[in-house]
Formats: sequence, C-alpha cells, structure tokens
Amino acid sequence: MAEEIKLDISPMYEGERIRKGDLWVELGGPKADGFELSLATPMDQIEDGKVTVVGPDLGETAEGTTMPFGMVFKVGGEKIEKDLESIIERRNHALLSYISGLMHLNQRYDIWMRIGTNLKKKGVTSWTQIYKPVIDLYKAEMPFIEKMEITIYTDPAEVKKQLANAMAVYAARDERAKGLHDEDVDVFYGCTLCQAFAPTSACVVTPDRPSLCGAITWFDGRAAAKVDPEGPQFPIEKGTAIDAIAGEYEAINQMAEQRSGGEYSVMKLYTFFDAPHTSCGCFETIGFYMPEVDGIGIADRDFKGAAPNGLPFSTMAGQTGGGKQVVGFLGMGVLYYFSPKFLQADGGWDRIVWMSKGLKERVKAGIPEAMFPKIATEADATDIESLKKFLLKVDHPVVNGVSRPVDGAKITEGWKFEDIDDDMKEKVIAFIEATGGDIDTEAVKAKLGMSEGQFMQVVEALQADGVLE
Amino acid sequence: MGIRKCFIYFQPTQAAYIKEEEAKNSMATPEGSFSVEDMKNVQINIGAVVKEEEEWDQPMGPFPKPQVATLRNWDYTIMNRYHIMYCPADDTCTLCTYGPCDLTGNQKGACGIDIAGTCGKIVLIAVLMGTCAHTAHGRHLYHWCLDRFGDMKFDMGDEILVDAPLTQTILGIKPKSLKDYGEALEYCEEEIVQLLAATHSGQEGWYQDFESKALHSGMIDSLGKEICDMLQTVAYDMPRGEADAPLVEIGLGTLDQNKGVLIAYGHNLAAGAEAMIYAENQNLWEKVDIGGVCCTAIDLTRITETGRDSKIPKNLGPKAKVAGAMGWWRKMVRSGVMDAVMVDEQCVYCDVLEDCQKRHIPVIATNDKIMLGLPDRTNDPADQIVEDLVSFKMPGVAILDPVKAGEVGIRTAIAVKPKRAQYKQESLLTEAQFKEYLEKCTGCNQCAFVCPPHTSISMMIAEAKKGNLEPFSSSYETCVGCARCEVTCPQEIPILALYEYANREYIKNAKFKMRAGRGPVRDTEIRKVGAPIVLGTIPGVIAIIGCSNYPKGTKECYDIAKEFVDRGYIVVATGCMAMDMSLYKDEEGKTIWEQYGGAFDGRNICNIGSCVANAHIHGAAIKVATIFAHRNHRANYDDIADYILSKVGACGVAWGAFSQKAASIATGFNRLGVPAVVQPHSVIYRRTFMGRADKPEDWQVIDARDGSMQQIEPAPEAMLYIAETKEEAMLEMAKLCFRPSDNAMGRGIKLTHYCDISMKYFGKLPDDWHIFVRDVKDLPLAYQADMMKELEEKHGWKIDWKAKKFISGPLRPADVSFDPTNIPRKIRAKK
Repeated sequence: MAEEIKLDISPMYEGERIRKGDLWVELGGPKADGFELSLATPMDQIEDGKVTVVGPDLGETAEGTTMPFGMVFKVGGEKIEKDLESIIERRNHALLSYISGLMHLNQRYDIWMRIGTNLKKKGVTSWTQIYKPVIDLYKAEMPFIEKMEITIYTDPAEVKKQLANAMAVYAARDERAKGLHDEDVDVFYGCTLCQAFAPTSACVVTPDRPSLCGAITWFDGRAAAKVDPEGPQFPIEKGTAIDAIAGEYEAINQMAEQRSGGEYSVMKLYTFFDAPHTSCGCFETIGFYMPEVDGIGIADRDFKGAAPNGLPFSTMAGQTGGGKQVVGFLGMGVLYYFSPKFLQADGGWDRIVWMSKGLKERVKAGIPEAMFPKIATEADATDIESLKKFLLKVDHPVVNGVSRPVDGAKITEGWKFEDIDDDMKEKVIAFIEATGGDIDTEAVKAKLGMSEGQFMQVVEALQADGVLE
Repeated sequence: MGIRKCFIYFQPTQAAYIKEEEAKNSMATPEGSFSVEDMKNVQINIGAVVKEEEEWDQPMGPFPKPQVATLRNWDYTIMNRYHIMYCPADDTCTLCTYGPCDLTGNQKGACGIDIAGTCGKIVLIAVLMGTCAHTAHGRHLYHWCLDRFGDMKFDMGDEILVDAPLTQTILGIKPKSLKDYGEALEYCEEEIVQLLAATHSGQEGWYQDFESKALHSGMIDSLGKEICDMLQTVAYDMPRGEADAPLVEIGLGTLDQNKGVLIAYGHNLAAGAEAMIYAENQNLWEKVDIGGVCCTAIDLTRITETGRDSKIPKNLGPKAKVAGAMGWWRKMVRSGVMDAVMVDEQCVYCDVLEDCQKRHIPVIATNDKIMLGLPDRTNDPADQIVEDLVSFKMPGVAILDPVKAGEVGIRTAIAVKPKRAQYKQESLLTEAQFKEYLEKCTGCNQCAFVCPPHTSISMMIAEAKKGNLEPFSSSYETCVGCARCEVTCPQEIPILALYEYANREYIKNAKFKMRAGRGPVRDTEIRKVGAPIVLGTIPGVIAIIGCSNYPKGTKECYDIAKEFVDRGYIVVATGCMAMDMSLYKDEEGKTIWEQYGGAFDGRNICNIGSCVANAHIHGAAIKVATIFAHRNHRANYDDIADYILSKVGACGVAWGAFSQKAASIATGFNRLGVPAVVQPHSVIYRRTFMGRADKPEDWQVIDARDGSMQQIEPAPEAMLYIAETKEEAMLEMAKLCFRPSDNAMGRGIKLTHYCDISMKYFGKLPDDWHIFVRDVKDLPLAYQADMMKELEEKHGWKIDWKAKKFISGPLRPADVSFDPTNIPRKIRAKK
C-alpha cells in the first residue's frame, strides 16, 4: 500500500495545462481509449474509501507514456438514485482538475488526462494516492454521497471491456433523458439563483425546457433541490395544465407571483408572446420577433454583427435582462433548441426565420430537416428586405401562414398588405401585362417580391376597382 | 398578422405620446399588433430601424451633475463603516501667516482647526492636485483634438453601447460627439474650483467633510480620466476593447541604436503622436525610432489600430516602442540609448533638462504645464529650431504646437545623433573610471540610509571591487532612480552611472512584448462575466494600477498579476504597472501578455491602457450594475456605487504609487465602492479607510426586499489598506474581493483563494476565515473537514454532523435572494 501523500488541491489549478516537457503519463485522448463512469450502487456493495487499480500502477509507468485509462466510481447513499449518476460524473472534470499536476479534459468516453512529472517528484507512485483525496472532494462537495469506491483500469484489455459497458450505460442514460418529457414527471424545478442581480427573475426548468443559462437541466434541478432543500433550486408540484400547449400551469403562475415579489402573476413556458418566461441576463441566446415577416430570429452571444432587425445581440440583450418578462424578446438556452416543445404555442421551428450561422450549425440536430434550409443566416439576410426575399424564395411557412405542428391550428395568416397603394397596383398590372395573364408564382416572388397571398390581395383590389375582371 | 408598423417604447412620456398618437389614428394600431412594455425606445418600422437610441431610454436619475454636498450622505455611509485613520507627516499647520501652529496633544490652530481637520485638508489638496492633472489633461486634449481633427462622432463600436459610463452616471448625459465632452469638462472644472475654495483658511474645518470633498474630487478625477481616454480613443482611433490588441515592443534594448532615438516622456500623446505622423508621412522610420516613457508610451502604441476612418495614417501604434515606466527614467537617460527627448505633462522629473544637457540630449518641452525655463520657440521656423538644437546652441526649447514639436523632435533626433556620438561616448563610464569610483567608496553607508529600497550600496561596491557585478545586476530593477544616494555620498560617487556600467548587457538585451492598451471593457464581455462576478464564481476583478516606483515594485507587480491570473481572477492593469510587469518572461520566453489571453474574463489579463484608462475599470464596474443587473445608472452615482460595494468583487492595488494622481485615483475608486491596497510608502498620503470587523454595528445593511436590517460579515473589510509586503497585499486583496452577495459556490471559491494564499505564503490559515462562513457550502473543499472541526471546537458552532449542516454559529444564513443595500430609497415597494 502506497503511503498517503499531501497533494496540492485547489480550484486555482482548474485550467492548468500540462505541457509535453512536464508530462509523465498521458491517458485517453486522441491516441488511446479512455472513459469515466459513475454508477449508483447499493450501499452494501460499496467498500467506502477503497481505490483498486486493475493493471499496471502509476509508479510502473515510464515518463512520456500514452496509455488507455478508465475510472469507475461507485457511489451510494440514501438519496442517491440512477438519475444522479450523470450529475456526479460531470463534477469529475472540475474536481480532478483541482489537483495540481493533473489535467482533465472532456467527458465520458472522450476524456483526455495528463499527469505531470511534478507528481512524480512529489513521490506519487500509485493511482490510490491520487484518487483517495478525490473521494474526499466528492463527499465534501456532494454530502449526499455517503459511500464511494473507485476502480482504475489501466490494463488495455480490461479498459476495452469496461469501456463497452460504459458505452451501454451512456446510451441508456441518453435514451432516458431524451425520452423524458413534461408529461412524464409530476415535479418541475424552479431556480432563483440569479435573483442576486435580477431580483424578479424566477426560472422554471422542466424536462422539455432546460434553463436559459444552459447550466441547469431538469435532472440538475432535481439533484440540486434534493441535495440542498434550502438552496436556490426548488421543486414545483406540476398539477394540471391550464394551457398545455402554451405551457401554462397554475403552480408556475403562483411560483412566479411569489418569487417575483408580485411583479408577475402569469408565466408561460412555450410561448414568445403572451406572458413569456422571465429573462435574467445569463441567457445563451436571444430570440427576437420581427413583425415585418411575422417570424422569430435568434442570435447567440458570439454573433457580432447586427441581426436583420438592425440590432446587435448586445442591444437586444440589454433590453431583455434583469428578470423581466419582455414580450417580443426571449432569452433561451441552447439545449432548448432540441426540445420537442420548443416555442410550440407559436409554431415552433415553423416560426423561426433567421438564426446566426454559428448557432444554426451548433443546433442543427435539433432543427427539423425540412426547416433547416428555410431558416436564413447572416450569409442569406442582413436586413428585413433581404430576409423577406429569402423567405419568399424558400417558401417559409410564415409567408403563407403557420399551422403549428403541435395541434395543426392555423395561428398566422401569412403575409398581408394593410394598405394597397397605387404603386403596387401599377406594378401588378405591369407584371400581368408582361406575362400575358399566365401567372407563375415563382415569378411573382422573384419579380414583385410579394407572396402569393399578397399578390392575390392586390389582384382583388384591382378587381374591386374594376381594372381587372 | 400582416406587415405593419410596430412601436416599441419605454420612456413613460414617450409611451404616453405614442398611445395618444395611436388613439388619434386607429389605423396605426391594427388588430393583433403589440406594444412591448419595458422596452427601450426602439421604433421598428417596415424594413429598417428608423430610430434607435435617439433619446435615452433611462429616465434622468436623482443626481445629475452632483455638487460638492449632493452625495455627502453616501460619503458618510462609507466613512461610518470605513473609519478614517490619519498618519500625519507633520504635526503643524503652516498654511497661513498665523502659523506655524503646533497641533499636537489635541491643540487647535490659530484658526481653530485641529490635527484631524488639517490632515483632511492636506488629503483633499493632494487629491485635488491629482484631479486637476487629469482634468487639465482632458481640457488640453479637448482643444487639441477639436483643432486638429475637427469634431468627430463619439463611437465606441457595436460591442459597446454603454459608451461613457462615468459621464452617464455622474452627469446624466450621453455625449454624441467629441464636442459634447465640453459640458463634462465644464462640470469638472466648476467642482474643482468649489472644492479648492473649501481648503482656504476659514472655510471647511471638519475632517469628515474634508474627506467627503476628497471623495467628490476622486469621483471628478475618474470623470476627468474618462474624458481624456474617450477623446483620444476616438480622435486617434485606439482599440475599443479588442482583447487581441497588438503586441508592441517594450524595453530599452528595443530602441535601435543605428537610428536616431526620440523619447516621448509624460502623459499627453499630442506631440509624440505628431512625431509619429511626421515620421510616417516623411518615410523616416528607417532613420528614427520613437520610444515612450511613462503613460505617453502606452498611448502612442495605441494609435490607429482599429482601421476606422481617421485623419492619420493607419496602424501607426505598433511602430512606436515603449522605453519603459517612469521609475526607469534616470536609469534610461544614463544608459545612452536616446538622442532627443520630448516632454509633455505629468510625472516628468524636474531635473530632466539637467540630466539631458549633461549628455548633449536636446530637450523639447511641448506643453505649457512643463516649460523648464526654456525659450518659447512656438512661432519660429522649424529649420531654425532644429539647427539651434543640433548645434547645441541651446540645450532645449519649448514648442507648444504639437505638430511643430513633432517635426522638430524627429528631425533633431536624426540630425543630432552623429553630432553627439562623441559626447555619448564620454557620458558612459570606462572600465578605468568605473574602478576608480569603486575605490573612492569608504563604506560609510550613508547611501543605504537614504535609499528608499535600502539597497546596501557599499556592499555592492565592495563586491564589485572583487570583480563580482552580480549585486549591481540583481538590484538594478529595485533601484527607483531617485539619486538620493548620489546627493548624499560624501565622495560624490555617481552611483547611478555605476549601475549603468554594470548593466550594459541587460540593457542591450531588454527586449519584451506588451499588449497595447485595449481601452474599454466591452458590454459583451460584461454580459459573459456579470453573473459569475456577482455570484462570486469568478473570484474577483484585480486592478493593478498606477506607478511601481518603490522597492521591488517592478517584479512584485508581475508576481501579483501572475498569482491572481493563475487563480482565475480577472486581472486588469494600467500605466506604469502594465509596463513594468512586461519585463519578465516565463521558462518558454513568454511575457505575461503572451502567457494569457487579453479578454476581460477569468484567467485573462488586460492592459486597459494608460493612467487615464483607469476610468474604464470604473466603467466595467458600472456596467455590471447597469447592463447586467439593469440598474439605471443615469445620474444615479450613489445607487451604482452601492451596488458595486455590495455585489461586485473588485479590488485595486497601487504598488509603489508616487504621485498625487495615485491619491485621486484611489479615492475615486473608493467612492465607487471599490477598495484599494497600497504599498507602505503610501502612508505619505496620510489617510486610510479601515473597517472594524470587531464592531458589529458597523456592518448593518438594509435588505432591499423588505427594508429589514441585516447584519453582514465585514465584506469588503477595508476601503484603503496599507500592506507591508506583497504577500500581505495579495492576502488582503483576496479578502477584499468578498461581497455580501456571494453565493455559496462563490464564497467557497473566494475563501479557497484567501486560505490558499495564506497557506502558501504564511504557512497557516488566516485568523478570521470563520467570520466569512455562512453555510457548510461556503467552506473550501480542501479544508472542509478540518474547518468544521475547528468551528465546533474553537468557535463553539453547533453542527449537525449527519446532515452536514450548521445548527448555530454563522453571523447570518446564506440566502441567494438577499438584496443588500445601504440606501433606503432602494427598498422595494410591494406591488
């Protein structure tokens, strides 16, 4: 048994890079297999504090070696259940990184670790000496972990075998997370973490609506509320919906009223327009309604230019934060773009007309295949005029009216002129004369910049005038 | 819904107007359109944003253009918590003919003033001196820029909308062009006159009111700096918050000795910039190098780097070099690297002419604040002036037209170089001379007594006699160049010249990189770091500002920066400290600017700019409150300062501050709720603001949610703290980043750094860590188990061990929604 060695452990080492010259051993990464796995385990099957090494130990490893590596953390406790596994596993990056001389990147089967020669100089010879303090760190940070046991795999064959097991576990977890919807749970979670700076902010996190800051999923909310009942995350008994499509719940309204100090009494989850969710200021992306095209655009923080409405992210964000309900603008988290309930009351993806390019690529998997080419980016449209042209060209649903996919209800009528002036009439007459009355809708769009509906409006007006028959 | 007009508005008056208009014409509000509540006055029309930010969405706050007593309540809030402690340099008052009055033992002066009042008066005068220097600098730039370039649109770029945070917060106005800053300058000047009047005999007598006035002056100082930097940023197209501003060359070794070397020394870039423009337009860079000293150096390297429209050549900044910080001046002039010198204003040694004349280095005074007894040649032809300087007919001239001064500077540097070659040679010690001087030393040690860093000069000479020059090398940067040793030496040994001789190799190889001053912090950066700063998960903003002119200040400012940037703090630097920390490289040969990113973010380090760019650090704090937390900042200074004091973990350090500007800078930070740590010599400023952790009554704040009073931990514990060593400074700075609004994770991280620094440098935990603990989750992970034991055993806290919770003990419970304030009008009215 290797003797205990006092390691330097502090958050200041998070982000520490171990360079080639200081490398003792490299684990996983681009050149070798690697994984990390946390498993909720019955208390009687855990030997608390034990670290087992399967394969050659650290002291037997030559400087500069790259090797396969796996770690399995068995965790147990009264409050521990399967859904907490990924939450615990995700802390691995930070907690391991706190150790001076240890670099940890990525997660799950992607891990890439480096051990520095400074640990060798300190006299470290065994993985046990590194992972025993890790158990203490976990227990300190997550007091609900009552028992913890770690197995380290360095034997290549064993890593391969365990990695296959781990892949099955990840897949099952993802399946559950993806398959879990608002209907499947009785409890949502609220979060008032941001009230420190946005005093009327009151977030709701549900399986279908991850937080707008991107930091909290329903699973995270549940874990946090469980672990720390007095903390900033708290359960909301869902009850029955007042409006399931808009995501209005009596319990959420009550929570909003109470936590906002009476500022708001209604807050709906899946809409942009009527009593939308509050935006604290931490949102990863911002959605903005453009009345000229009756559609919604979305910009992310990294988008530097002006959106088609003429406003850069900073201006829109400046008007939206502070824990306010702002009709027409909404802060949203990146994960929300993968939700089946994404803005479902407003038509969901059928109502999205523009996205910043980087964001569109990032959330590609969440966008329905048919809609993907119909959503403009800054490469297609930089102002309302060019956006209109683009939308006409691709036959975007907003042009002729959106029937929202969730229930088939037609919620917008499509583009209509309010006033039809003589200029429009003359253009249409000229167009009809030029084409000899044989109207091609594509040509209408391209030459007149009008939707079919708008064209027909002008035609009807001309008929009313008696110019056309 | 169809295509229609949509009004989005915010300001109640405008909203009412629009509603009225809509009512008049119901066609304007077709069915289904909406008005967006709480929006800024953005009117979106078909196809284009017709009108954006024409008017300001924020209503005018309560205190536009605050006068001397307007924010007095806020000052007393600060002073009642952070008690004034004076260290008088003098027990008498000698300011009027009744005096000198002995004020010891509670005696009063002839006018009735007591020692505290006198100290307060001197503090106010010192702060005013600094404030005047910055404001006058702004006034000069205002006239100069408008004369030279005409009025220009005030534009900070797309990523900065809160573009003049101090001007907006203090005056309640939004300048739209450079000319609009005239109003801000007039305001500053009026306040300065009123404040200075209060120092006359028979005016203010109460020390706290002197200090309130000093705080007012500090605020005016911050505004004066903002005016300066905004004017020059626009007029000279300097970076507007680019995290990747260019790396520029710094160090005496970068000045090409095959060219004429012109030094621009001071704080006002006008003449130095003209020299650069002249060199560029005349295609003279093959023949001349320009090196800056003190803040002019930083500003010259910022010129025309963004490629916006400007009336001067593009990308000019990186063509200038930074010779170094002000503390290196006397070492520089003795090193033989320069051929001509232009001085402008502030922080210029009074004997600059004497030092240059001895070495046949022509001097051009370019600003009426420093004329050095030189003839005013502003109206003479350049040819004639150059001829007079190059022939050494006169040692220097004053030229108050920056364009002419720039031309004369460049032409003189080039032409005089060959002519002074022999004098240059003579001004440098030969080996024989060096040895001769060494022999003259009697080892009396009088030099060591007057040396601010107490360098053992006699010992160094004794070692040099044995052929060991190492002590002369290793203490070269410690030397602040004050030359008091030379003045004292009974043997008249030119000690600084000995230093020069012993460090020729170092000077030749002193080549480093510095990130050019990037200017303001962007709104987009604030949006990213606002929440982590307020919650505490970015442990703090460390501002390393001012001069590093005292013992080891040079290396120590690098050490301090590195410690905090490594720990994930946001580190910002300005002025001479930014220059001095560039003089060190890591094992890979990288300076601190090459080791880390330049964003306003954790684990990054920004060179904000020169001294006047300090205003952007105030600006960043204001932006956290206004952009991130939606506090209205317009004419609302005390509200914003209150927010910063309670919620924005930031701390400044001035490690070796020397001028009165440092006093005004620190006092300006204090009024905004940002504490500062200074180096021991700063007791010369006579006053500290120290909190008393042992007095619970000093740490009562209002919970804005319901108006109840709440006891808080002493956070931040001091406003102006004097630390004796860099280790003590770092420990204190980590502590001064605590804020009552830290959440558990944030407090845990801040406590971790506080404890880690203490363990690293003092080998023990700090004595007072426990008073900052509100919840088990606040405890640093690495120390949690031991700390809980200590809390139970030593401090008598009751702990539920199974649940890992405190039953009793902490000053107050952790509460994420806690909304601390010191201003009663911030209590939220229930709807």
